[in-house]
Amino acid sequence: MASSGSGQASPPYRPYRHLKTLRGHENAVSCVKFSNDGNLLASASLDKTVILWSSSALTLLRRLVGHSEGISDLAWSSDSHYICSASDDRTLRIWDARSSAGECVKTLKGHSNFVFCVNFNPQSNLIVSGSFDETIRIWEVKTGKCLHVIRAHSLPVTSVHFNRDGSLIVSGSHDGSCKIWDTASGTCLKTLLEDKTAAVSFAKFSPNGKFILVATLNDTLKLWNYSTGKFLKIYTGHVNNVYCVTSTFSVTNGKYIVSGSEDHCVYLWDLQQKTMVQKLGGHSDTAISVSCHPSENKIASAALGNDRTVRIWFQDT
Amino acid sequence: MNASIIDPLQGDFPEVIEEYLEHGVMKCIAFNRRGTLLAAGCSDGNCVIWDFETRGIAKELRDKDCVAAITSVCWSKYGHRILVSAADKSLTLWDVVSGEKITRTILQQTPLQARLHPGSSTPSLCLACPLSSAPIIVDLNAGSTTVLPVSIPDVNPGLAPSSRNKISDGTPPFSPTAACFNKYGDLVYAGNSKGEILLIDYKSVQVRAMVPVSGGSVIKNIVFSRNGQYLLTNSNDRTIRIYENLLPSKDGLKALGDLNVTRDGIDDSVEKLKAVGSKCLTLFREFQDAITKMHWKAPCFSGDGEWVIGGSASKGEHKIYIWDRAGHLVKILEGPKEALIDLVWHPVHPIVVSVSLTGLVYIWAKDYTENWSAFAPDFKELEENEEYVEREDEFDLIPETEKVKESDVNEDDEVDIVTVEKDSAFSDSDMSQEELCFLPAIPYPDVPEQQDKCIESSSKLVDSNNSGSPISEEGRPNGRANNHASSPLEEDAGATRLKRKRKPSEKGMEFQA
Repeated sequence: MASSGSGQASPPYRPYRHLKTLRGHENAVSCVKFSNDGNLLASASLDKTVILWSSSALTLLRRLVGHSEGISDLAWSSDSHYICSASDDRTLRIWDARSSAGECVKTLKGHSNFVFCVNFNPQSNLIVSGSFDETIRIWEVKTGKCLHVIRAHSLPVTSVHFNRDGSLIVSGSHDGSCKIWDTASGTCLKTLLEDKTAAVSFAKFSPNGKFILVATLNDTLKLWNYSTGKFLKIYTGHVNNVYCVTSTFSVTNGKYIVSGSEDHCVYLWDLQQKTMVQKLGGHSDTAISVSCHPSENKIASAALGNDRTVRIWFQDT
Repeated sequence: MNASIIDPLQGDFPEVIEEYLEHGVMKCIAFNRRGTLLAAGCSDGNCVIWDFETRGIAKELRDKDCVAAITSVCWSKYGHRILVSAADKSLTLWDVVSGEKITRTILQQTPLQARLHPGSSTPSLCLACPLSSAPIIVDLNAGSTTVLPVSIPDVNPGLAPSSRNKISDGTPPFSPTAACFNKYGDLVYAGNSKGEILLIDYKSVQVRAMVPVSGGSVIKNIVFSRNGQYLLTNSNDRTIRIYENLLPSKDGLKALGDLNVTRDGIDDSVEKLKAVGSKCLTLFREFQDAITKMHWKAPCFSGDGEWVIGGSASKGEHKIYIWDRAGHLVKILEGPKEALIDLVWHPVHPIVVSVSLTGLVYIWAKDYTENWSAFAPDFKELEENEEYVEREDEFDLIPETEKVKESDVNEDDEVDIVTVEKDSAFSDSDMSQEELCFLPAIPYPDVPEQQDKCIESSSKLVDSNNSGSPISEEGRPNGRANNHASSPLEEDAGATRLKRKRKPSEKGMEFQA
């Protein structure tokens, strides 16, 4: 649907359909992400490996092996050359996505507990990681040095994300707060929520960096304007009270919010109307992670232990 | 940008040394347009490009032909090229992304300063100020040079030594003349040894206007603010003068031409030039230190033109004076006891970078104080006590307003998540040009047997890649400032709050040799 005002007629919603199921992991898949150039799809799993798939042919290309424990999150660099994975073995690994050997270029050590979330900044010279040790660390990509250690929260950090120009980091945590940090100094600029009732399981900036999408473990997704400190939209209908299910913006053909859910489905909501427009079923366990292709109308979703697959959905033309 | 949530109450100028960068002996520095990269020229002929965000080295431009000290570095407008001038009389133009040399020109004399034409992204013209002669325009592709006139003799164009030219400090008549381009590069503003500012049209090699500086002493530096509205001159009489540019930013040359036409009535060419000059620049402010009467070095504007900084030229001290544009001295920054040789203000942030004689580059920034109200979303910091007036129903058992307090935001309003706002600080950027903001960071592969160490880069950041390694606070042998007790990477096992602590002492930092 075109992003027009509520009065105008918009073209009818074209539903997404299941295209393919990718099997390859031997344990729960924890994260799936398309590369920024759209050519590759990476999936990370509790089986300690990252698998690279071709996003056009949907075939398995390589398996990146090296971690000694399961992997919780992964991130692509802006030029799609490098992948960073965050693992329960307390390290982060930077992999060269182009090399056929699937070698690990660097290992970042420093966290004292499971590393749970990771992201590159848009310039891709910094990596931010959040961990069960309640800190956020900012690393320099080139040398692997840790530039900042931020004592961010009082419970595990579940999500970290840079904004559009890399000057801000948003972090969410089980302690129920969502905070915004200044990258250069590591100081806290704002706290969005202080709600002790619901843990924040996921937080992400909008593509233009003005809004933050926050998921809380009371089956709610909210879109906040962080400068005013007020939320503008609420999205409900899915189930999310245990796992850190990721959600994302779909902007290739109309504006939607896409999220996984613990009832094994992937939900899509219209961004403006807040109505649920589709529920994609098929997984046999919690759909923990979703990712939208940067240019095509494709969504990838990953599910936990009972399912262990990555499903690709595409929109009818 | 995050401007909306940064506390506006903090002053906009730096206060303390935040960090220093070390790589060989650096001599001169320049920021790219957005301040994301810092180029530094070294005494061994190399040019190092620092990634200012990570404070690590992004690239090194090495030329085996050039081993003489670099005298100046200059970026092209969108950061694709760098011009380097060296003590072996050469000018080298580099392509930044590839790290390849494009051209190398040898001049008659060592250029002390070289500036690329600011109007285009791949400039071929540059302005060079040699050691002891008039500034020249160099065409880097053709290798040709055009000497610019620096005085207005009554009869002949070109350099004619004048016998009434007395200079109080005994320097020879044509001591380095300072010159710079205006904002779009259609005019060259030169300050000569007679204390005159000349506006030169370099295409026709003609002086178009002249503004005499009171006192008539040698002008050592001349520089524009980033928006082209103010011009700064540093003279031998220890005064920094600010002039307001009356010509429009774009098409300044054309406007100058229009002025010329109206003055045709006056016969004396010098008077005519002065009359035109008075319409181009007016004196705005003068800065000097009346007490110590010190000479200034490397004065320049802040990125937004609101502040002026100048370094003290006295040997043995590293002092930076900050004035606001109205002329009030707001701060004196004192660094370690080493002479200051270069100074720049970051184009966007309140950060100042200075180079000392020992070759270290100091980064001055604001002293970060934790904004405690950032941690509690409902709290607001007040400047002073405010009388609290309670609501009518505040102490009611069921206040009326509670019920409607839920959301005063219209949830049906359309939210735009895609449009990006233009950054007002860079309003003159031509959107069709691709600007080079950062160099791709390629991670150095870990060496297998040294998985625990990280590769030592030359900034002073401490290695903390070992999990659980304590801070190495012990003085490291190559001279770290010892009151950087809290380098940004410490894993502070005991402290409750971690932030980048900086010692606020301004009275000079003791330096361990």
